[in-house]
Amino acid sequence: MSFKKDQQQEFRELANWVIDQAKQAGANDCRVNISKRRSVEINYRDRKPEVIKEATTQGLYLEVFINNRFAGRSTPDFRKLTLSGFITDLIDNALIMEEDPFRTLPDPKYYAGRSTTDLQLADPAQAQLTPEERHAMAKAVEDACLQQGGSKVISVEAGESDDTYEEFIKSSNGFEGSARSTYCNVGASMTAQDEGDRRPAGYHYIGCRYRSDLPSLQEIGKTAANRTLDLMGGKKIATETLPVILENRGAARVLSGLLNPMSGGSIQQKRSFLADKKDQTFGSKLLTVQDDPFLLRGLGSRLYDEDGFPAKKRDLIIEGRVNEFLIDWYYSRKLGWEPTSGGISNLIIPPGTRSIDDIIKDLGRCILVTDYIGGNSNSTTGDFSVGIIGKLFDKGQFVQNVAEMNIADNHLKFWNKLVEVGNDPWIYSQARFPSLVFDGVVVAGI
Amino acid sequence: MKTIPRRKFIQSTAMAGGALLLLPELQAGRLLDIQPSGNYFMKEFGIDETLCHKLLAKALSRGGDYADLYFEFTVSNYLGLEDAKVNQSYGDISLGVGIRTVKGDQIGYGYTQELTEESMLSAAATAATLCDMNATPVSISFTRPKVGNYYPVALDFNGIPAKVKLPLLQTINQKCFALSPEIAKVNAGFSNAVKRIMIVTSDGTIAEDIIPSGYIYASVVAERNGKREQSFWNLGGRRDFSYYTDDVINQVATKAVNNALILFDAIQPPAGEMPVVLGPGVTGILLHEAIGHGMEADFNRKNISTYSTMLGKKVAEPFITIIDDATNMNLAGSLNVDDEGTPGKKTMLVENGILTSYIHDRISAKHYGVEPTGNGRRQDFQNYPIPRMRNTYMLGSSASVEDVIKQAGNGIYVENVSNGQVKIGEGDFAFYVSQGRLIENGKLTSPIKDVNIMGNGPKMLANITMAANDLEMYYGGAGQCGKNGQGVPVSFGLPTCLVKSLTVGGTQQKGGQS
Repeated sequence: MSFKKDQQQEFRELANWVIDQAKQAGANDCRVNISKRRSVEINYRDRKPEVIKEATTQGLYLEVFINNRFAGRSTPDFRKLTLSGFITDLIDNALIMEEDPFRTLPDPKYYAGRSTTDLQLADPAQAQLTPEERHAMAKAVEDACLQQGGSKVISVEAGESDDTYEEFIKSSNGFEGSARSTYCNVGASMTAQDEGDRRPAGYHYIGCRYRSDLPSLQEIGKTAANRTLDLMGGKKIATETLPVILENRGAARVLSGLLNPMSGGSIQQKRSFLADKKDQTFGSKLLTVQDDPFLLRGLGSRLYDEDGFPAKKRDLIIEGRVNEFLIDWYYSRKLGWEPTSGGISNLIIPPGTRSIDDIIKDLGRCILVTDYIGGNSNSTTGDFSVGIIGKLFDKGQFVQNVAEMNIADNHLKFWNKLVEVGNDPWIYSQARFPSLVFDGVVVAGI
Repeated sequence: MKTIPRRKFIQSTAMAGGALLLLPELQAGRLLDIQPSGNYFMKEFGIDETLCHKLLAKALSRGGDYADLYFEFTVSNYLGLEDAKVNQSYGDISLGVGIRTVKGDQIGYGYTQELTEESMLSAAATAATLCDMNATPVSISFTRPKVGNYYPVALDFNGIPAKVKLPLLQTINQKCFALSPEIAKVNAGFSNAVKRIMIVTSDGTIAEDIIPSGYIYASVVAERNGKREQSFWNLGGRRDFSYYTDDVINQVATKAVNNALILFDAIQPPAGEMPVVLGPGVTGILLHEAIGHGMEADFNRKNISTYSTMLGKKVAEPFITIIDDATNMNLAGSLNVDDEGTPGKKTMLVENGILTSYIHDRISAKHYGVEPTGNGRRQDFQNYPIPRMRNTYMLGSSASVEDVIKQAGNGIYVENVSNGQVKIGEGDFAFYVSQGRLIENGKLTSPIKDVNIMGNGPKMLANITMAANDLEMYYGGAGQCGKNGQGVPVSFGLPTCLVKSLTVGGTQQKGGQS
C-alpha cells in the first residue's frame, strides 16, 4: 500500500468531528487516535508457499475526560452514524467511573518544542514491492538456509512480511500529531536433526524500516542455518559460578527487568525496587542506558510520546546511576513529580572497544548466552530468573553448546557484575545493545 | 513506532460501542439474543447463505481443497481499580471476517473489517491467490453440526451496566485491605468479553457460537519491615456475569493476600537438579507448555516435534492419562465448536502411558488421515486457525499427597508458576516458580519464590513417577496461550505429582557457595 495522498487530511477531518461530537455530548476533554495499517505476509516451507496473508485494518481509539472521570474505547467502524452512538455510550461509561483528580489531558505547555526532523520512518520503495518480489525474497532466504543447513535440515520456514502504518492523533486541548512508517521483516527458522530425538530449532529474522537496509538475503538465510547448527549437542553442565556474556541481540531480555521498575506506575504503586534509587548508583560504571528517539530509520524513533510530549534524547542510567525515571503525565500528577516521558523509544548502551571473540579469549571458562527460555523478573523485589541457551568456552576455545540451564540473581547485585561491554551493538532492534559481559554468575544446571 | 495501546485494546472494551447500525442489540438495557445458533450474522449483518456461497466460490475460484469463512463480532470491556477508585474503563469492538483457502498444507488468507460484499470479495480474492488452477466447486447447501453447550449464558456481560460491575472491584479492594494491615497497595480489574462467531465452510458446514470469557483479579503489594512482596490471583473462565458472586470475590482477595504475605518468609532454594513435586491445579501449565505443545499436530506433521515419531509408543508410566478437552463446563478453554466448525470434543492424548493422538486442526487431520479433534483455534478473524490446546489435564492416580512429598525426599514443591516457555524441537522448557516450598526429608518446610525450573518435556513426562488422587483444574480466566503470537484462552489441570529430577535455577550453588 502506498500512503494515500489525502489520508492525513481525512483523518484530521474525522478527528475534528469526533472531538466536536464528544464535547457536545458532555466531554470536558478528549483525545482521539486514528490509524490504518496494511500488512502482508508470505511464508515458505518445503520450497512452496505455506501462507499468503494480506489485509488492511483501521482503528479509532477515543479517550474522554469528564469531571475527573475517564473512559477509553476503540472501534474499527468509522461511519459517523455509528460513531455517534459509540461516543455517547463512551461518555455514559465515563460518567459511571469514580472521580480521579489526576486523570486529565496533559497541561498543553508540555506539548511545546516538538522537533520537525524527518526521522525517515517510511520507505517510499515499499509501495512498489510486488507480490512476485515478496515471493522471491522468501525463496532466496529459504534457499540459502537449506543450502547452509545441508543434511542436518529437517525443516526450514522462511518468510517476508511488511507493514505500512499511518496515524493521526488530536486532543481537544491542542495536541496534534501524525506519523507514517513502514516495516519490513525477513528471515528463516530451521529445525535440525540432532542426537536422539532432539530437533533443535534456530532462527534469524531481521526487521527494519527500509528494505534497502536489509543485509543480503543469502546472508540472512545462511545465518539462520548457522544459528541452528550452533545448537547441536546442547546439554546442561554442572551448576557453576563463571563469567557469562549476554549476546547483543538478546541482552534486552535481562535488561528489560530494569525498565518496568523505572516507570511512574511501578513507583507510585510500590512495585519498584528502584523507587528509592534515583541518583544512586546500583550497578557497574559500564552500565549507561540512553533513550534516543531521533535515530534515523530507528525502530523506536518518534517525535512525540503517548502523552503528546515532544520526544527528547535522555540518559536513563549513567555509569550505573539512575538518572531519569519514566514518568508519564498521569503518574507525575499522582507522585507530585515533573513528568519526563512514560515510554521508551530506542534504547542504547554505548559500545565498548573489543570484539566478543577477543573478550572470550581473556575470560577463561565462560558461557556466551545466545537465547533464552521462560523466566521472569519481579519488579517489586528485583529478583529474576531466566533459562538460557548458549556456548561454553575455555580460554577462547569452544567447549560445547549448553541448554536447559538457568541464571538467577537480583538486579541490584547482577548489574554490579558487568565487567565489559562489547563493540557490537545490535542495530536491528529498538534496543541497540552490544554484548554484555558479567563475572561471577551462578549458572544452574545439573 | 507509536500505536494505539494494544494492552488497552485487549483488556478493554465497550459496554456499548457504536450502537446504532452495527450493534443494534447493545443499546442500553437491552439483553442480547443469547442463543448460540441464532442466525446472528444473518439477522444483524445480512450475511445469508447466498452471499456465503459467493464468497466461498471466489476463494476457490483458482482452485484449492476447501475454503472457509470466519465471521467474528466481539465486544470486550475492562474496568480497573487503583488506589481505591474504579477509575479505568477501556473497551474494544472487533468485527470482521477472515477468509481462508486451503490447498494441502498451504494457506491463502485475507480478512476485512468491512462486512460489505465488495470488501469481502476482495478478501476472498486475496485468499485465492494461493492457487492457480481451475475453480473448485462449493457445496450448494449448508448444514449445522450438532454441538454441545458448555458455557450457557444467562446474564450476558453486555447487558449488565458498568455501574453494576463497579462494586465487585470496590469489594475486592476493601477485602484485601481488611485481610491484613500489611497490604500497601491493591489493584483490581474485571475483564470480560462476548465473542460471536459464525464459520461457513465450502464443504457445507455452517456453525455459530456465542462465547463468553473473562476474569476478575486482585494484585496486591504487601509491606513488612521495609520489604515488599507482590501477588496476583484471578478467577473466571467461560462464565456469564452470575458467576461473580461474593464467594468468588472473597476467594480472589484471600488468595492474593495470603500468597503475598507468605513470600516474606520465602528463601531461594539451592540451584541444580533435584526432585520436584508439582502441586495440583495451576501447575498444570507445565503440562500444557512442556508436553502439550509437542503434541500439537502441526509441529508433528512438519516433523519438528520430539513426539513426531512417538505415536502409539510409550511416553509415560502406565498410570498416566492426559486429556485435552473442550467439553468441561465453564473452563477457559471449553469450546462448543472450534474455529473451523468442528464440534467440541474430548481427546485422549496419552492413555495409560501410550501416546494415542495428536491435537489436530483440519489440515493436520487430513495429513494423518484422522478426524479433526476440534482443536482448530485462532485469536480472531485476523488470524487463520492452527492446532491449539483447550483444557489439558492429567488424571489422578492412587497415591496420597503425603506419600508423593515423602517420596521426593529433598527437593522443591511448586505451588504457583507463570511465564512458561518451551522449545518444541528440543522439548526443553522453563517455568517461573512464583511460590513454592522446600522439601526436606520428605516434609514441606520453608517457602520459596522467584526461581525457574527447567527441563525437557518428554523427559519430564517419562520421569513422573508418582501422582496423587487430587486432580484440580485451573479456574482462572487469565490463562492465555500465545502460540504463533495468537492469544487464546486455555485451562489446564494436574494432580499432585512427583518428577524425579528437574533443574532448579536458584542463586545458591548446592553446598552454599554463591
